[in-house]
Amino acid sequence: MFELDDFSVSFGSGTALRYANLEIREGDRLGIVGESGSGKTMLALCLMGMAPDAATISGRLSIDGQDMTHANERLWQQMRARRVAMIFQEPMTALNPLRRIGDTVMEPLIVHDGLSRAQARMRVLALLEEVGIPDPPARMRMFPHELSGGQRQRVLIALALACNPALLIADEPTTALDANVALRITDLLVRLAHERGMALVFITHDLAAVARTTENIVVMYGGDMVERGPTAQVLANPAHPYTKGLLGARPDPTAPARDANGKRRRLPTLPGTVPPLSALPQGCRFSGRCAVELDYCATTRAPDHAVDANRAAACHLLGGVKP
Amino acid sequence: MTAPLLEARNLTRRYKLPRTSLLHAASILTAVDNTSFTIRAGETLGVVGESGSGKSTVARMVMAFEAPDAGEVLFQGQNLHSLSAADLRVQRQKFQMVFQDPFGSLDPRRKVGWSIAEPMRAIGVDGDTARRTSEALEQVGLPARDADKYPHEFSGGQRQRIAIARAIVTRPALLVADEAVSALDVSVQAQILNLLMDLQDDLGLGILFISHDLAVVASICDQILVMQHGKPLESGPAAQVLRSPAHGYTQTLLKAAGVF
Amino acid sequence: MNRRLPVNFIIGAVLVALVVGTAALSLVWTPHDATQLTISNKFAAPSSTHWLGTDQLGRDVLSQLMAGARNSMAVALVAVLLGGSVGVALGLLASAIGGWVEDGVMRLADLGFAFPALLFAIMLAAVFGPSLTNAVLAIAFINIPVFARVTRGAANQVWTYDYVLASRAAGLNRFAISRDHILPNIAAAIIVQATIEFAVAILAEAALSYLGLGAQPPASSWGRILSEAQTLMYIAPQLAIYPGLCIVVAVVGFGLLGDGLRDMSDPRLSRER
Repeated sequence: MFELDDFSVSFGSGTALRYANLEIREGDRLGIVGESGSGKTMLALCLMGMAPDAATISGRLSIDGQDMTHANERLWQQMRARRVAMIFQEPMTALNPLRRIGDTVMEPLIVHDGLSRAQARMRVLALLEEVGIPDPPARMRMFPHELSGGQRQRVLIALALACNPALLIADEPTTALDANVALRITDLLVRLAHERGMALVFITHDLAAVARTTENIVVMYGGDMVERGPTAQVLANPAHPYTKGLLGARPDPTAPARDANGKRRRLPTLPGTVPPLSALPQGCRFSGRCAVELDYCATTRAPDHAVDANRAAACHLLGGVKP
Repeated sequence: MTAPLLEARNLTRRYKLPRTSLLHAASILTAVDNTSFTIRAGETLGVVGESGSGKSTVARMVMAFEAPDAGEVLFQGQNLHSLSAADLRVQRQKFQMVFQDPFGSLDPRRKVGWSIAEPMRAIGVDGDTARRTSEALEQVGLPARDADKYPHEFSGGQRQRIAIARAIVTRPALLVADEAVSALDVSVQAQILNLLMDLQDDLGLGILFISHDLAVVASICDQILVMQHGKPLESGPAAQVLRSPAHGYTQTLLKAAGVF
Repeated sequence: MNRRLPVNFIIGAVLVALVVGTAALSLVWTPHDATQLTISNKFAAPSSTHWLGTDQLGRDVLSQLMAGARNSMAVALVAVLLGGSVGVALGLLASAIGGWVEDGVMRLADLGFAFPALLFAIMLAAVFGPSLTNAVLAIAFINIPVFARVTRGAANQVWTYDYVLASRAAGLNRFAISRDHILPNIAAAIIVQATIEFAVAILAEAALSYLGLGAQPPASSWGRILSEAQTLMYIAPQLAIYPGLCIVVAVVGFGLLGDGLRDMSDPRLSRER
């Protein structure tokens, strides 16, 4: 359905996304994992046709076979809501505080699908029911501030689902929520994707959330897709040094904080910090922070190397042969 | 057993909520309800909870930014909230704080060295403030010349290092870290956690470590206190709380922290 | 920072430079002595010696306008500085102490706002007698609540930032924090307000002088020139038009400059443009 071919986004000062290749099929649940500056949010914006005006785009982005790389706003407006919809991190600011929940969710149904108010109302009641909001008729009359954060995120999901999109992009949907609420929201997203046969792109820095939610993941660093494969396999046995470092740096709640001598255990770390876009190395973006480094890592971009049948990682160490 | 560095006894803090109607009396929110804990020198207590659990209010009371409605905070045996304003300002050098947002906790218009030296100026430290500023920077793994830069020239992790340098420059006995690594990327988070452990080993600091992330707390804390809706749910040695959580809510937090 | 400057800032800056430059020039040079009477040469048309002609007493109009500019600027400057300093101090105090002090200061400010500003200035000048000093004091006085409110609003915002909390943790008292952190971080907002108030002060001075409550002869100001020219509206309308234009240029100039400064200090606004 959705396809990216060597898709790149750059600004005057640097490259936000480099040679991204991605294919999203019906019903896929895909996690995009990365830290700040990894390009994961830029990727989401591009899939929504909302790349900033200042961006220079190359490569190809197609939806249902149609080339959308340089599509105009009108074409995108037809795609949005119906083919692809998005929910955001902050459920408070994404809803108009002066409009009742019902009116907000009814709007796309009336505007895009041409339903009457009565028809739209019926659909909204069903949608709110579907996303697990109790007593939908009463909630429709409420304003956003009368709902809790989790409820608001559910309303936003209902809004995104209103026109039956084939793909739902969730950008850090649980970051602003409390743990038990977040667990229920991720469960809801998985259930909805399953029941509707809808594809889900789950963008997050939270490895635990992505493990619960997705079948496949793409790990991003500095605008590159550095590793991809089935979620469970990648997390259990990472191939790219960055993925390894990221997983290692994550505190493990089951490991004791002190060793046998009463000395505190240190966490394994990745040295340094993510450099700014304009200062990324030309070759492998991770060079300079990588523990094992070849002499050409900093200058030559690493191609995808197959790890096994359905996994790949962009690392020279996996290539074996010097290019 | 050494005497506790910090002892919080039955802390309670209530806030009056804004009135929603002229006809109803303002309702009262109990942000922290009858919470007690102790921290010894060289030991870390983790307070875990989510937004609204009261954990940040605990930090504000320990830092004497606000007074409890009931209960007391004893720091080195002294009740902080019964000190005069002037005495409290002098005592403050012994307990310092690191904040969540590394972009908000440094004055953007002041050079880093100026900010780090501020606590020394406030209490009139004699001697070489410039030398101690450089030392503090080196202790947190930054070059001394960074004192002449402005906060916007640093990344989030580096700024958090600067905030820590500022907190340890008066050689405190207690460090309060309120979500000090929550705003950082995972790879940087581990560096800062390690830095806190290093400093604790070197300086014998007691640390009050506040976080919503049980995994982070597990990695650095000796004792854990779980809070929900202002009430202490369970507490005890970290290993015990993590291995056999007594409360369903703690189990939820563990699940969210994620073992996969 | 190579963002384009806002248009209103550029236009405002040019107009302000023109007015301030003229006022400054008048300190060292005017084409003629502004107060010198030459009755024989009254109502002269513009010429190479009198660029804008002469008035009913044969005084050079351009020289008078230049000297008037100097007085108008000086009154506005002193008034805004005076009123601004008191207002900023009160605002900082209110914000730092809070509680009943804050309430008290703000209620007083409300009282100031409730009074029509110009009327209040006229009243002060009327009670204490017409003089330039009283005009300055009156205009300064009406500026106090404006600055107190702006300062307190901006300061309350800064007080919520973590770096202020960090300074409290460091043991600084409220006055040191106000001085070291609050004031530098709200300076931009205050400067913007001061520029806009400068325009208001010029207008207020003109109004007071026009009513005879400001500059007293032989001192001149745009308001005074305007008031003298008023009686001659049908004989020599240009004598009223020139000072009127000067006032408009100055007020519009400072107003636009203030707007432009505000746009530059608030990145959100400039992005929406």
